[in-house]
Amino acid sequence: GRCPECGSAALVEDSHYAQQQLVCAACGCVLAEGLLTTTYSDEQHLREVAYSQSTGQKEQLSRCMQRGIRRVQDLCKVLQLPSVFEETAVGYFQRALQHPAFHLVSLEKKELLGGCCVFVTCRQHSWPLTMGTICSLLYAKQELFAGVYLSVQKELGISVPALSLADLVKTHLSSFHLFRRAEDVPAPFVEGEEQVVARTLQVVELASETWLVTGRHPVPIVTAAAFLSWQSLRPAARLACSLARFCEVAGIPLPPPARLRLRELHEILLRMAAQLAWLRVFHLDKKTVVKHLGDLLQHRLVLLRNAFSLQDAEEQHGEAQGEGSAGCPPAAEPGQEEGCSLEGKRQCDSSQRPLLPPCLIHPRKRLRTAALSESDAALTGDEPISDSEIEQYLRGPQELRAFRKAKAWQ
Amino acid sequence: HAFSPFKDDLSASPQLFTPMSPYDVDLPIQTEDGLFGSQFNQPKELPADFSVDLSFLPDITQDKEQNLSEDGHEMQEKLDGSVSRNEDSGTFVNESSLSCPDASQPSPEESSVCPPLTPMTPMTPVTPASASESSGIVPQLQNIVSTVNLACKLDLKNIALHARNAEYNPKRFAAVIMRIRDPRTTALIFSSGKMVCTGAKSEEQSRLAARKYARVVQKLGFPAKFLDFKIQNMVGSCDVRFPIRLEGLVLTHQQFSSYEPELFPGLIYRMVKPRIVLLIFVSGKVVLTGAKERSEIYEAFENIYPILKGFKKAS
Repeated sequence: GRCPECGSAALVEDSHYAQQQLVCAACGCVLAEGLLTTTYSDEQHLREVAYSQSTGQKEQLSRCMQRGIRRVQDLCKVLQLPSVFEETAVGYFQRALQHPAFHLVSLEKKELLGGCCVFVTCRQHSWPLTMGTICSLLYAKQELFAGVYLSVQKELGISVPALSLADLVKTHLSSFHLFRRAEDVPAPFVEGEEQVVARTLQVVELASETWLVTGRHPVPIVTAAAFLSWQSLRPAARLACSLARFCEVAGIPLPPPARLRLRELHEILLRMAAQLAWLRVFHLDKKTVVKHLGDLLQHRLVLLRNAFSLQDAEEQHGEAQGEGSAGCPPAAEPGQEEGCSLEGKRQCDSSQRPLLPPCLIHPRKRLRTAALSESDAALTGDEPISDSEIEQYLRGPQELRAFRKAKAWQ
Repeated sequence: HAFSPFKDDLSASPQLFTPMSPYDVDLPIQTEDGLFGSQFNQPKELPADFSVDLSFLPDITQDKEQNLSEDGHEMQEKLDGSVSRNEDSGTFVNESSLSCPDASQPSPEESSVCPPLTPMTPMTPVTPASASESSGIVPQLQNIVSTVNLACKLDLKNIALHARNAEYNPKRFAAVIMRIRDPRTTALIFSSGKMVCTGAKSEEQSRLAARKYARVVQKLGFPAKFLDFKIQNMVGSCDVRFPIRLEGLVLTHQQFSSYEPELFPGLIYRMVKPRIVLLIFVSGKVVLTGAKERSEIYEAFENIYPILKGFKKAS
């Protein structure tokens, strides 16, 4: 409506103490007033009755649901997600809470359920939110969250697309404190965000091609890749900086696997550098190879092909077991290899290694349980069982006495 | 449930992998002049862009391939909803006495899928790696979980006192943990008389072990019987011997795969037919679980092998 006094449409519902009033925001004219007291029959129209006094017959959402929805909305706001995400996440949450599988779970889990719905929504829109982030926001144990997440996926039949590493790089790096001068950031450490992101993306792609990414937690790889990229953009000043110091300055936690990923990346880069003609004169180590990261990335396709024997992976698997023994002599010309790749053009080097995941390059010695023996295989399950065999598991009377004496049984 | 990375621990408890609602597929099969006798024969080499997973379909001929994408999609949609449980435990012959038939009897479910025509060549037996197109790799059984009902109330304190190989800590777990050396297994014995036997490497071993535990309980003075012995879960593992691009696999088989490197290094593949959960790792090692019969493990592996081969070469 419009104010009868000034004609403004800015009408506000306001309370003068306990009295509800409809007031014009422009001129202050009071258009309508609520009653100071209410009767039971008025309850339906005015809703001035305390929640505990109301009948709750109009209630459509349980308290648990209301609380949960509010939590989901809060999470979306904290993460600064687009409003569409909030609607989707709330929708998922309502579905989940009403689902028999989750209807009766503990409140702790219901809180995680809200977080899961937000997480799932983000992943479906390719918004790179990691589980670690959500868990820290929910103060949840990752194992518990993992269980709820997998149940949600299964029970609600939601398909969640894989985490995009490229998107993760961009979001993860945006939280670094290296991109502008600050008190705790030395001048030579400051770097342009775009350059670091661009190079990190390339390094992550390289890691992915060389089997360093599959099956591993994505964040440590991104951290290690970002470190290498950042170092390579100004090596003179930054080579002396350690990974730990880098994370400290950047204001991010150092995940323990990042050191191993860094070591693996160094190994890959050194092998690639060994194939680059103008770098062979230098005796590169893991520190100095970073200086040439730009070149290595530029020619990575060729270098990868030369540095790693891309033989049939099955043959390589057998060869990788007998580590150290190359088997193929260094070939002067391509095409002369005997035990080497059938594709012909590769340089068969004794320093080459196959392009395989690290778990296959360095297999951990594990006891292989032997296959069933002949006699076991002929088992029917109905063999007679001798008394003596069973009696070996029972305590004799003397032993019982001694046992009773020694241990006061609860 | 906590999700523990268990690359080495192959005695996966049954609770970790609650299988999806079974979808009973009973498609008519057209045999191609007796060439497809065995269930484990693979369908013809599919064109490279054929991205639908056919693991739930039995052998099928060329002209049916056109309808497959729709069928696959339809079936998956039905799965997303709630499918009424198809009680497939009925396929197992009820064992109420000690002299019951053993587990290697072919289930009626298998025979319903056989072609009605009599092929020119005799039916190849249902054993792995017998058909010419199979992978040549046989999954090895690593763990069998079975249950049996001793049908009498048990005094766990008494058992723990009189048995050398028993462990009982009521504050931690309400059952006696008993172990025997041969077959090397572990049993959980509950006061209700129910027992769970784990650790055996074959169905027969599991049965023998369960009987030994029952005998121990009998010798301790309880009127233990041996009722309703049932294999609840079978776990197998094998190695395809080439690395696998899990990121690629989860993209093309999204409806069946779950790959969360943040949680677990392996890809969890929930196969529909047979209803088996496979854990696929980058190293090429595959763990198969959720089977009630060993043929399901073999069949599941034969179904997944061609899919994995598609991800063998990086580029």
